[in-house]
Amino acid sequence: MKLFACTTVVSLPVRLGVVGAILVMVFSAATYARDGRWGEVKDPHFGEVLFHFYQQKYFSAIAHLMAAQAEQRVEHHRDEAELLRGGMYLSYGLHREAGKIFQRLIDEGVPADVRDRTWFYLAKTWYQRGYLEQAVEALSRIQQALPGDLQGERQVLAALLLMKREKFKEVVKVLGRFSDRSEWASYARYNMGVALVRVGEKNDGVKLLEDIGGMRADSNEMRALRDKANLALGYTFLRLGGPERAKSYLEDVRLKGPFSNKALLGMGWALSARGQHEKSLVPWMELQSRNPIDVAVQESLLAVPYALRQLSAAKQSLQNYEAAISVYNAEIVRLEHAIESIRAGKLLIADLLEGPATETGWFWRLKRLADTPENRYLAHLLASHEFHEALKNYRDLVFLSANLSQWLTNIDAFDAMLETRRKGYEERLPRIIQKHNALDLTALMERRDDYAERLAVIVGQHNAMALANTEERRLLATLVRVNTRIDRISDDTDVADYRAKHKLFSGLLSWRISTDYKPRLRRAEKAIQELDDALVQAEFRQQSLQAAQKYARKGFEGYRSRITTLRQRLRKLEHQVKSVVRDHQHYLQELAAAALEDQKKRLRAYIIQARFGIAQIYDRSVSRVEEQ
Amino acid sequence: MMHKLKLLSIAIIITVVASDAYGQSSQDDFRSLDEKAQSLKEEVLQLNRDLFLLEEELLFPATTQVAVFLSMDVGELFQLDSVQLKINDKVVTNHLYTEREVDALFRGGVQRLYSGNLRTGKHEIVAIFTGRGPKGRDYRRGTTLVVEKTTNPKYIELKIIDDAQKQQPGFSVKQWEQL
Repeated sequence: MKLFACTTVVSLPVRLGVVGAILVMVFSAATYARDGRWGEVKDPHFGEVLFHFYQQKYFSAIAHLMAAQAEQRVEHHRDEAELLRGGMYLSYGLHREAGKIFQRLIDEGVPADVRDRTWFYLAKTWYQRGYLEQAVEALSRIQQALPGDLQGERQVLAALLLMKREKFKEVVKVLGRFSDRSEWASYARYNMGVALVRVGEKNDGVKLLEDIGGMRADSNEMRALRDKANLALGYTFLRLGGPERAKSYLEDVRLKGPFSNKALLGMGWALSARGQHEKSLVPWMELQSRNPIDVAVQESLLAVPYALRQLSAAKQSLQNYEAAISVYNAEIVRLEHAIESIRAGKLLIADLLEGPATETGWFWRLKRLADTPENRYLAHLLASHEFHEALKNYRDLVFLSANLSQWLTNIDAFDAMLETRRKGYEERLPRIIQKHNALDLTALMERRDDYAERLAVIVGQHNAMALANTEERRLLATLVRVNTRIDRISDDTDVADYRAKHKLFSGLLSWRISTDYKPRLRRAEKAIQELDDALVQAEFRQQSLQAAQKYARKGFEGYRSRITTLRQRLRKLEHQVKSVVRDHQHYLQELAAAALEDQKKRLRAYIIQARFGIAQIYDRSVSRVEEQ
Repeated sequence: MMHKLKLLSIAIIITVVASDAYGQSSQDDFRSLDEKAQSLKEEVLQLNRDLFLLEEELLFPATTQVAVFLSMDVGELFQLDSVQLKINDKVVTNHLYTEREVDALFRGGVQRLYSGNLRTGKHEIVAIFTGRGPKGRDYRRGTTLVVEKTTNPKYIELKIIDDAQKQQPGFSVKQWEQL
């Protein structure tokens, strides 16, 4: 991924995503280890945010975090949550809001090293997004040297910002202080070399570029940088009239690297400048077997007849010029067709995206283009900063549009659900009120007080018999009846045995009831306590019901009003998002069309060159005829 | 020679300025569009926050709300494939994990496995985890807990842990009640 897209200097490689970098740098090792694992998560809602964040679902993560913060559910991670939100804002392209959060946190007081690193990452993000003034401002806020490679990266960034503003002498000053040997140092030396050549300090510039051009490279990035340095040297010496030296640099560019076409073209010119026209045909003919859309390949169509002309092969030269003109014309027709389709809206930017827009963060990059006639010309456009950033915005906006549309469906469901609940409530309420009204709480309270009074009397009199249960009461009643009968028959019969038995049973029953007095009393007291609890609950329910009657309607109205407001916001935003999606579509189409127009202009310039070559051949043949 | 230099200049100009072709006005246009896009993103995020809160209040009122979360502490002895969650013997969710989700859990993320409503009182929750245990063996294990639901929202976190002594994965449960 290209981190720094720049027109005249090399891009810096990605080391670490901005969010990851901020997390590592800003949070202590206890909470965010360098292997990317979080420490202890104390609030599950914060963990839920991390779950989305680690899957790069930044939109969901931010929205969940905002909801959790609003409900104070991430209190154990309050500061970390805010930093994380800032980091995720950055990763979601919301650098303005991220800047505000970091500024606030910095104002609240953070350690100096954290402050400086935060400003550095903000500067880097703003640079990438094309906000150069903000990037310069953020860089100027750094007060101390940054640790490790970051200091080198900081100086390269400062140099890139100066170069963007064409302050080449200052670039030389900034990079002159750059002494380390890291990869950043290589980028810095390359950029400095370019800057020196530009301000006329050729010898120093060449020395630095040679340093890069001859370095040992262990990665593709470094090999590409080495090629680029040799290419720059080659073209510099071609322009300065040193073809031999130019050739020696161009020979060092890899034949299959990203700069090989330009190197082959330059190599041909270096040979040609030394009069080795036959040899110059070798790299140029090689180019003709390569991708015909490439600028160097197209230019080789013109270079080959030039060499043939120098070799006095006028006829072949003429044929090649004519063939080149015909290729360029055909290409112009295709370009015009492509421009027309783009302007007619046939190049749907949506088609450039791979599948539906997702909430993947700001580090997303388009990896390949669909193979359509228009897209064949757009490959290099994708490397352009504006096009790619606008494409990312476009993708995010399409996602937002889908998100809003989904919520609009959901909110209708909420509305329907609320209505069903309200109807259910309206239907059930009279039944519940009726049932509740049947319950005479005052009478129940009186009865409870009556029981309590009776129990107090039992306790006062220590009247165990009053605590007899139903079965015991039945037995006691039976014993009374038996005693009456014994009395009735006592005149005629000897009832001594009966009386003895009656006494025994009465005694047994009294003993059982009396000895169980305390447990019975406790049970009775407990029963009254339970009755009290039940009555309190009944009273609470009564009050709740009264409150529900009073507030439920207000509650329904409150939800209804929230739903209405949210629906309005949804519709308004949906409309605005669609409009800005169209603006982005238009902008991207115009960029694409302008890029193709540019290619057309270049081809027209080639045609003029070819016609000029043809004219020269005819001139020479006419002169020769006249001489004869 | 002049002709050659003309050709060469074309190549060099193309090499050096190709991507600079759209200049300052295009950058200004982009800035203006970018400002609009940022404002909209921020507004949509705020709206999503408000909608999340409304959705939760409507679907899961505080008095009945229950959420079950899943997390992983270390998790080197267990490679999670899927989870089934049952509440009161009824399957409420089945989840099959992607590599990304497992990685997010491994790095400290906490997944909301289930959100629902329960009456006050006791409820049995059973979670069955399947995956790869130590030495890549198939592993299936359940954990059961009984929770007491009050009128406050209840959050339950099921955590997959490494039992270093037994060299086996284990499971722990943590409960929160939001007051």
